[in-house]
Amino acid sequence: MSDRRPYSATIDRVAVPGGEDLVCRSCGHGLGSADAVWKEVARLDERPLCEAGGSVFEATDPKLLLRRFYCPGCGAALDTETALEGEPFLVDRVRG
Amino acid sequence: MDPMTFSIIRHRLFRIVDEAVITLKHVSGSAITNEGHDLMVSLYRADGSLLMGGVGFLHHLTSAAEACKSIIRRFEGRIREGDIYLLNDPYTAALHTSDIYLVAPIHHDGELVAWSACFVHVYDIGAMNPGGFSPQSPDIFTEGFSSPGIKIVDRGEMVDDVLDTMLNMVRSPEMVTLDLRSMIACNNVARERMQALIGKYGAETVDAAGSELIRQSEDLFRARLRELPDGEWQSRQYLDVDGETAVVRLTMTKTGDRLAFDFTGSSPQSRYAINCTRWASLGGLFAPLFPLLCYDITWNEGVIRPVEMIAPEGSIVNCTRPAPVSVATVAAIQSVNNAACATIGKMLAASDTYRAQATAVWHANHFAIFKFGRNQKGGEAIGILTETFAGAGGARSFADGVEIGGEIPNPISRMANVETVEANFPIRYLFRKRMIDSGGPGEWRGGTGGEMAITPHKAPDGGIHYVISGKGARHPMSDGLAGGLPGAPNRYLWIKPGESSGEASGEASGEASGEDGGDERIPGAANPVSWGVFPLMGEDALYVRWNGGGGFGDPLARDPDRVAEDVRKGLVSRTAAEDIYAVALGDTGAVDRSATERLRSGRLAARLEGEQVS
Ligand SMILES: [Zn+2]
Repeated sequence: MSDRRPYSATIDRVAVPGGEDLVCRSCGHGLGSADAVWKEVARLDERPLCEAGGSVFEATDPKLLLRRFYCPGCGAALDTETALEGEPFLVDRVRG
Repeated sequence: MDPMTFSIIRHRLFRIVDEAVITLKHVSGSAITNEGHDLMVSLYRADGSLLMGGVGFLHHLTSAAEACKSIIRRFEGRIREGDIYLLNDPYTAALHTSDIYLVAPIHHDGELVAWSACFVHVYDIGAMNPGGFSPQSPDIFTEGFSSPGIKIVDRGEMVDDVLDTMLNMVRSPEMVTLDLRSMIACNNVARERMQALIGKYGAETVDAAGSELIRQSEDLFRARLRELPDGEWQSRQYLDVDGETAVVRLTMTKTGDRLAFDFTGSSPQSRYAINCTRWASLGGLFAPLFPLLCYDITWNEGVIRPVEMIAPEGSIVNCTRPAPVSVATVAAIQSVNNAACATIGKMLAASDTYRAQATAVWHANHFAIFKFGRNQKGGEAIGILTETFAGAGGARSFADGVEIGGEIPNPISRMANVETVEANFPIRYLFRKRMIDSGGPGEWRGGTGGEMAITPHKAPDGGIHYVISGKGARHPMSDGLAGGLPGAPNRYLWIKPGESSGEASGEASGEASGEDGGDERIPGAANPVSWGVFPLMGEDALYVRWNGGGGFGDPLARDPDRVAEDVRKGLVSRTAAEDIYAVALGDTGAVDRSATERLRSGRLAARLEGEQVS
């Protein structure tokens, strides 16, 4: 759709009164205001990388988490990050 | 200036750098230089600003500019035609002591008109540990010979007393002499070719072309930045040493035609030599910026102007003297490379125009392992395992990463032949191959890294020793992009036949001890090693696995036939095909399409049933 602009390779921005919302590129499901943190409304699968990544990750730090963020509408993978327990989400902002 | 003359001069500047690189490789006798291409040559203007960045390790382009400027300040009024200066102090401009800069003024009719600068990682620098990476050093004072600027060639004559003083402090002085001579030859070629160019076109014309080239690069880079969306992108990199974890945090902000890299929140400087200085961090962020954002723009001062860096003093990315930094190039600097690659990749992915230029992080974790000891010819030998330069490509929005495909900060890096290593060291390779499942999963898979094992062979002393600065085995560093997973992390195992597993007892401690799965190809007890000096004696083996590149996109979106092909080629295991990619393969290895469809729809449903945070 022409009124969409990319936020990332998987998420678009759409203009709404007073600002922009983020939506899943695959299914259009809303991910909240562009001023909020979309990762907080995504489906989060968070578990130790040593259990989630396969045998090549077996020796990684048990406190290191693989965070996978999925679209609540269609289940598409929107982003991933690795984080030690207690780390805040990596937050990206796209404007203009 | 007429465009023909401008284009000819621009092209000649490129070729001067190329020819100087060839000279460096031909004269040097070190595998790290002529096999690993751990080198750099660039040209600078009379004031030391970058005129023409060359290939090699790109994080040196801006640091060597600072080296030129520092020499100009120190030797003002005493810089003569034919002089060559050495600088390797990291707190002045260098990245670590073993990457020596030789910078040379270029004169025309008695006037200083330009500089050439180059570096190689010299054979040894006299640090506590052989080879330059010195994991046991607690401070800069134990990291070997270090100079903030010294003249080693005076008007074309070697300053022998200075050179001999330096060579008196290093192991294998004859090899270090060869390294220095290769850099002198390189600078001589650069100077002669620049003088020939100026002789033909005139100093004013060549300088005007340089000015124009810098203005052009700045205009093109700013125009590119304006085409990209404004925003902020974050990344972080964990670095573990001996049970301690440090973190490099980056927020990259793009506003209009400017780009700012802010490392606020990164760890305080470490007691280990993984730190880097301010100039090193600046070079570190430019190493991915040049190829990812300026792939069609000449790399010079014009690219540097729109960029700003914030690196808190006393942190791991801007340490203060006397913090140790000898491992910096494979530690904090590489983490800065990776973090910048990740944020630049996300910015490019946020643009429909530039998404195809985005990449997940490539080979993100060098392992500096220097073998040393008496070789089969009776001589003392020191040498890096050049597999660290073999790398692995990150995945992009349209293609898999290249298997063992190099790295972003050094477009010409590569590894030595097995035979070259075996000819110079008393070792044999048991195997060296692509590492299964190491490429970060995604719709597009990261390139695989590799694995290898070596054992002593015909060693007069029964074996050799090695220095390992193997940080980062506990955290993957090649981040995925757009839902892709990271590439597998490094692994370093000391395999001792006929023993049970336990903590490796080298001169320094190993990483967290404990039972390790081992490897049926190499019978014996497998002990993780990561930091310090260790023996490789008798029937010991050293197993090393290096990281794969990050993946791009959702692994469930990967074409099942590509997964089957990966399994056929031994790049992905059947287990990962099913667990990670949700692809069911029949007995023949072909895709079972209906079973795959069931698997994938089941996985998607499971994702939707997951807990929602907040
Ligand atoms: Zn969706």
